[in-house]
Amino acid sequence: MSDTRAPSSERDPGVDEIVRSRRGDGPVSRKLPGPVAWFDLRSRSTGHLAFSLNRITGLGLVGYLYLHLAVLSTLLGGEDSWNGFLELATTPLFLGLDLLLVFGLLVHGLNGTRLSLIGSGYVPNHQKASFWALMAFGAIVLVYTALHIFGGES
Amino acid sequence: MAATTSPERSTRSRSWRWTAVTGVSLLVLVTIHMVAHHFVVDEVGGLRTYQHVLDYISTPIIFVIEGVFLVVVTAHAMLGLRSVLLDFGLSEQRRRLLERGLVGLGVVTVIYGFVLIGVLASRA
Repeated sequence: MSDTRAPSSERDPGVDEIVRSRRGDGPVSRKLPGPVAWFDLRSRSTGHLAFSLNRITGLGLVGYLYLHLAVLSTLLGGEDSWNGFLELATTPLFLGLDLLLVFGLLVHGLNGTRLSLIGSGYVPNHQKASFWALMAFGAIVLVYTALHIFGGES
Repeated sequence: MAATTSPERSTRSRSWRWTAVTGVSLLVLVTIHMVAHHFVVDEVGGLRTYQHVLDYISTPIIFVIEGVFLVVVTAHAMLGLRSVLLDFGLSEQRRRLLERGLVGLGVVTVIYGFVLIGVLASRA
């Protein structure tokens, strides 16, 4: 298996030890213990930024899954109940939140694909290049989506 | 390169593989879901009227796709939550409790989702 570590200049001091203990196929390991480390971006590599974004967007999407089920449950209340929700859902604020959802889906989906391919050894580990290339692609899709969402507003 | 073969490592690898498999499946399913709801209809925000939604979900192929989507997205979410919560360094006992809790939550979510789309499809 190829070495999946970031270049030494980008690594945290303790990464080598963690990597040594987690060699083999599998997830790209986290670099510091505990979720608090996700938000600490000081002197972190692109890999750490990608990891943190994946966790944060993932948690947001789990929250959205249950919010979505709750919203769809208003359909059980009949047409009036659904129409009441629609009035709220088509305000600019909610359309903006739709865009935030698409942002989360793109970051999590594209970055997750990248991590899967690297973790399984199908592609060599070029954290920076692969991350920013996919994020650039995601940005294009996001702009297109924004134009679709707000362009159709009347 | 020597790989660690402890039970914990094996469980983590298996969990990671399922996360990856469900994640890749979701790329397809989410794309279908989003396009069907938001891009092939003219109205702002996608499917709009109550009847429009009922007609959509009662189409057999759509019902199956949405059902598969529900199962896969729930599995992916529970695996992801497990991974995040294990970052807190839980003991073996708490880890088992967490896993049972997540399986339970996932099962309840899937059952509720199927009841929801089943009721809506029957109203069309």
